[in-house]
Amino acid sequence: MPNEAAPPTLRSKRSLTLRFNIPITKTARFWDDLREGKLVTTKCEDCGKLSFPPQADCPNCSSANSTWVDLGTEAELLTFTYVQITPTSFVDHDPYVVGIGRLKNGLSVLAWMEGADHTKLKPGAKLRLEARKDSEGGPYYVFVAAP
Amino acid sequence: MRNVAIVGIGHSKFGRRTDVDLAELAFESIKGAMEDSGAEKKEIHNVTLGSAGGWYEESLPAVLVNEYAGFEDVGTMRVEAACASGSAAVRSAYLSVASGESEVAMAVGVEKMTEVDTLTSVELMGRSGSYLWEFENYGMTFPAYYALYAVAHMNRFGTTEEDMARVAVKAHHYAAMNPLAQFQKEITLEKALSSQVVSWPLKLYDACPITDGSAAVVLASEEAARRLTDTPIWIKGMGFSSDSANLSKRADFVGLRATVDASRKAYSTAKIAPKDVDVATCHDCFTIAELMAYEDLGFCAKGDGAKLIREGQTEVGGRIPVNVDGGLKAKGHPIGATGVSMMVEISKQLRGEAGGNRQASIKNGIGLVHNVGGTGHYCYVTVLSRSK
Repeated sequence: MPNEAAPPTLRSKRSLTLRFNIPITKTARFWDDLREGKLVTTKCEDCGKLSFPPQADCPNCSSANSTWVDLGTEAELLTFTYVQITPTSFVDHDPYVVGIGRLKNGLSVLAWMEGADHTKLKPGAKLRLEARKDSEGGPYYVFVAAP
Repeated sequence: MRNVAIVGIGHSKFGRRTDVDLAELAFESIKGAMEDSGAEKKEIHNVTLGSAGGWYEESLPAVLVNEYAGFEDVGTMRVEAACASGSAAVRSAYLSVASGESEVAMAVGVEKMTEVDTLTSVELMGRSGSYLWEFENYGMTFPAYYALYAVAHMNRFGTTEEDMARVAVKAHHYAAMNPLAQFQKEITLEKALSSQVVSWPLKLYDACPITDGSAAVVLASEEAARRLTDTPIWIKGMGFSSDSANLSKRADFVGLRATVDASRKAYSTAKIAPKDVDVATCHDCFTIAELMAYEDLGFCAKGDGAKLIREGQTEVGGRIPVNVDGGLKAKGHPIGATGVSMMVEISKQLRGEAGGNRQASIKNGIGLVHNVGGTGHYCYVTVLSRSK
């Protein structure tokens, strides 16, 4: 019966490590600009639909005519959480606060909230989106409290 | 479309089942459902398996399970709709019978989640969204996604951590009466509130456990059902819907749009209203999810979920008993098995076989299964009835 003395199991000898080569050809500009400290996204030239995350094909009218525009950096906090139990691949990180912020153009972004204290945060807080690089030079973006 | 009934139900013990492998675990439910239905193995034309997979060693679970159970030449597939894979399997088998393709079909849900370590399970579930934009740099977890909803709901409607803890206390109360549930002990409000923070404001007792388990149902056409059973439970309506992969694309975080849409479709097909439902299983992977489900399914007005649990309206004897089998929270949540387990529970309730203090009072003969995949990424709502 379950939950009593642990029954025998056979531990597999074959381990499996997965790392993915994720194609970013169609959104390379986003990562290139982010590395330079700039935040951009895509806008459909035919119907004007803005997208974040950036995407080459318009989800509204299916046009492939997209152009790059500034994403903007001023945001308002919609919601947040403090991730205390982190996944295996984040075990070397301290716990982090994640928030979703809405930008002036109506797009929302999910990102870490650098320097945030979750016990003092409230939805509605004013935020700024900023570019960062990790220890290996990989670009990412964070929210910080707006001054 | 033809009428389709559930004519057989099977359910394994849920928990940390290191005593069985995937096929052995699935077979516990298959055997139970076959025996309950009285159907012959050769009558089963279609076996659909719901299983999310990734945490067990097998890549082709459907054929492996069929081989173990001795099903030969059956049409089969594994379906995935995250935590709603079980409902997706039932839907597939249902359509096979409803369309006239099969007279008798089976849906099986199975998950074996404890073969990898807990944090690897946390990792695999955290990747259930839009990987590159939510996980790669930001390490989202399944509790973290629902915590985003909890914070927004608390902020908008004044829902409290205590309100959420009440859902956990109710779940453990009923699980303690359900021998198949993972947890067999009651908990106090204080214990729930003082448990470790997983992703604030959600704590350990706000979260469903990591579970191994299986469940199965045999579905039959009206003609086959009349031959096989005196207590058919009819599938009166199934609604399904979905929402964005990336949470940041959603308009707000106080309810699941997929639930609202799927339930509207199910009520409309079954020609019923929320008030007609005698008993329900709601997808309470986290306590906040149950409170939002009350609202999104129309059991109360938006924002009144906490009021419903405070008043005890979702207990046996209340206006609409919910998850009186212990729910995902305390019965356990073997991802692919959960939707089928819910069908089994509501069938038991409508047959009057839930037993003891778990049996809800059945007035209209109508029960509801609400099964969410991911963080409202998928939703399946099924209306079951004693009459066709």
